[in-house]
Amino acid sequence: MRSYIYSALLGVMAAGHAFAASAPAAAKEQYVRAPMPPGIQVIVTELEGPVFADAKGKTIYKWPYQSLRGGYVGDEKGRSTCTNTVTTTSAGLFSPYPPGLVLPHLDTRPSCAAMWPPVTAPADAKPVDKWTVITRPDGAKQWAYDGQALYTSVLDRQPGDVLGGTNREQLKQMAGRYPVGPAPKIPPGFSVVTTFNGRLLVNADGYSVYASDQDGPDKSNCRGACEDTWKPVLAPALARADGEWTIVERAAGVRQWAFRKQPLYTYNRDITLYSQQGSDVPGWSNVYTQRVAALPKPFQLIDTQKGVAVADAKGRAVYAYLCSDDSLDQLSCDYPGSPSEYRIAICGGGNVERCLKKWPYVIADADARSDNKLWSVIEIEPRSGRLATAGEAGAIRVWAYRGSPLYTYADDIEPGDVRGDQVGEMYGQRNGFMVLWVRDDFSHSET
Amino acid sequence: MKHSIARQVGWRAFTAVATLAVAPAIACAADGTAPPNGRIAYVTTDMYWGVYQTPDGKAECPDGLNKYGPREVFAKLYPKGGTEIDTHLAREALKYYPEDSKDNFPMPEARGPIAIGLNLDGKVGPNDFTSPTGEKGIDNALYRVIGCSPQFRGPEGQFRLFGNRLVRQLTYNRSMIELTGVDSLQNDDSVQVTILRGLDPLLTDAGGDKIMPGGTQRVDNRFSKRFYNQLQGKIVNGVLETEAKDVSWPWAVFFGNTNEYRFRGMQFRLQLTEGRAEGLMAGYADVDSYYRTVMGWSTHHLSYGQLDPSGFWRKLWQHADGYPDKNGKMTAISSSVNIYMAQVYLDRGEPNITVSQSR
Repeated sequence: MRSYIYSALLGVMAAGHAFAASAPAAAKEQYVRAPMPPGIQVIVTELEGPVFADAKGKTIYKWPYQSLRGGYVGDEKGRSTCTNTVTTTSAGLFSPYPPGLVLPHLDTRPSCAAMWPPVTAPADAKPVDKWTVITRPDGAKQWAYDGQALYTSVLDRQPGDVLGGTNREQLKQMAGRYPVGPAPKIPPGFSVVTTFNGRLLVNADGYSVYASDQDGPDKSNCRGACEDTWKPVLAPALARADGEWTIVERAAGVRQWAFRKQPLYTYNRDITLYSQQGSDVPGWSNVYTQRVAALPKPFQLIDTQKGVAVADAKGRAVYAYLCSDDSLDQLSCDYPGSPSEYRIAICGGGNVERCLKKWPYVIADADARSDNKLWSVIEIEPRSGRLATAGEAGAIRVWAYRGSPLYTYADDIEPGDVRGDQVGEMYGQRNGFMVLWVRDDFSHSET
Repeated sequence: MKHSIARQVGWRAFTAVATLAVAPAIACAADGTAPPNGRIAYVTTDMYWGVYQTPDGKAECPDGLNKYGPREVFAKLYPKGGTEIDTHLAREALKYYPEDSKDNFPMPEARGPIAIGLNLDGKVGPNDFTSPTGEKGIDNALYRVIGCSPQFRGPEGQFRLFGNRLVRQLTYNRSMIELTGVDSLQNDDSVQVTILRGLDPLLTDAGGDKIMPGGTQRVDNRFSKRFYNQLQGKIVNGVLETEAKDVSWPWAVFFGNTNEYRFRGMQFRLQLTEGRAEGLMAGYADVDSYYRTVMGWSTHHLSYGQLDPSGFWRKLWQHADGYPDKNGKMTAISSSVNIYMAQVYLDRGEPNITVSQSR
């Protein structure tokens, strides 16, 4: 296998085997059990919740057709554009740069299908529920879900890994691949979104729902003035209790949804979707179908001008690096072993030394460890960012989130500084750095 | 002159500036009654960098508007393309390390005697401008840098257009001032001005576009501490004038930005009424943070207004005219912002919150 992919595999294996362990026991999100093709399973992952996986437990992704500044990319429903042909030049999908520029490392550059192996279907496969079979350009059969061709990622090695992409809005790659999963088991009128803290329960419009620690099991104590601020989420007359979902009778004919025996409310002062502002009120908290594990030591949370961010032991904001190239394949360039020229252009102006000084890795202490898959300690060769080989001289131990190193920014000097946020192409989403935001109270558009 | 000054600078800007200039001679809309409890607050509804414009731009930009943005520079430097690393990534690198640039593309500067702004240093110097209403000694060196850049010129300049639009749309930009100790909105020799940030949408009319006075804003006590500030001021014939003070001002130009401008010696001069506060916010913009903030605009968007990062960076430092460092290098550039605010009621009901409660 080409060294480009090999490097990626080696890295993820090292990260996974050495330090990640299973998440602490906690409630997991329930999902709707629908018919699936043979060999397909559901795995409840730490951040993304339930996702489809192949027989080996590898997470399944889709690559929806999406518009970028210079054109469209991805799969239209019913067909796959991710092939075995190695792309050699850029596509000009991001103005002002034209198409036709020669992509880096053509000698080791993989094809789209090498990075994203199609989820193949047997020749006699039959459609099941939302699962259909499409024909690839080379004639092979591939599973599709809801019309979208399905893939696994070479970055995922173990069941529960979701390193190929995320549904979490903040770290979602533009025109990227996203994990696919079954519908959450929730009544009509609710939805679940992936956030830093876990799978957040919201109403159908995206507004957060909350629970009060003053309520008893299946009993609401929010009456009178409380109801002026906290609006009970009412259940329709024909709604029935089902599993974790029950109904609280507030008054004759007035029925309120409860989740895990906690009556649910919306917060009248919320003006943003997916808000956490209601949790600032003592006794009230957001509701999650499942939570991620606590931050590993030594990370902490800090307040900034936009919200709450993850910080290192010294209180400096922590950044993730996101990158996808300008090819029609939209290959990632932000995992250990991917071409480092993209990152070094932004962090050091092409100069590695400047990069290391301006955007230092978050170094892990000798005893640092994580008990979950989201956070890990990896050993890297610092100049290239690739994973180190065993015993490699000059290798350093750094913290990683979702398998990729974390950074601080040297120009963040005062407490709460986030001057490096969105440094890079297209507001940091394309080839740049993003703060690990836990909460954002200020970015929504109002009108 | 063929066109009136009002047409040259735009009616809103002209009205605000002209009113400031003639304020002593006219009766203000404010009735002089002290606001309840001596307090009144205003929320920002519009902001843009002060750029004096004539209709065809020839008076202030005789060499024309800037023609070399990222797209044009790229085409000039790499007519035959090349590798991603040597072209595209090399240009993006210069956005963050502009000192590496060897470019020397022309970037015309605004000329002429007129600029919007205030006399920040109290002097009338050879490089100073005269305001559109005749005030001498106007300090606005930034105007020389941005005055001929399509990004910053109204009404369609992308930075101006989006920057102003997002003042309304993003809560991040919900900057406010509260005046306290006000005995009269007409004349008061001592008022205190507090800079705050709100958490709520702006109150609009039924059409949804005009911002109305009388809305309510919750005051953010938690995430806006770096923007909090207090200035002493006075009201003379309905015009608020404040002392000069260093402030940080949130002004995101895109969704999710955490942009802030750092002003040295910032001062307000605002025409006050019971419903509006309009005028200028002027001071010396810290060059480093100013450049960073404008570069918060993507290269794609910079291309729309022909603003090439490294050329812009060079001009900013060339015209920096205030706050020298220990080596005598100027670190800030005189500047002015047209600012418009609407009266708002403040809700201070939320307690300060500790971080641990957020998860």
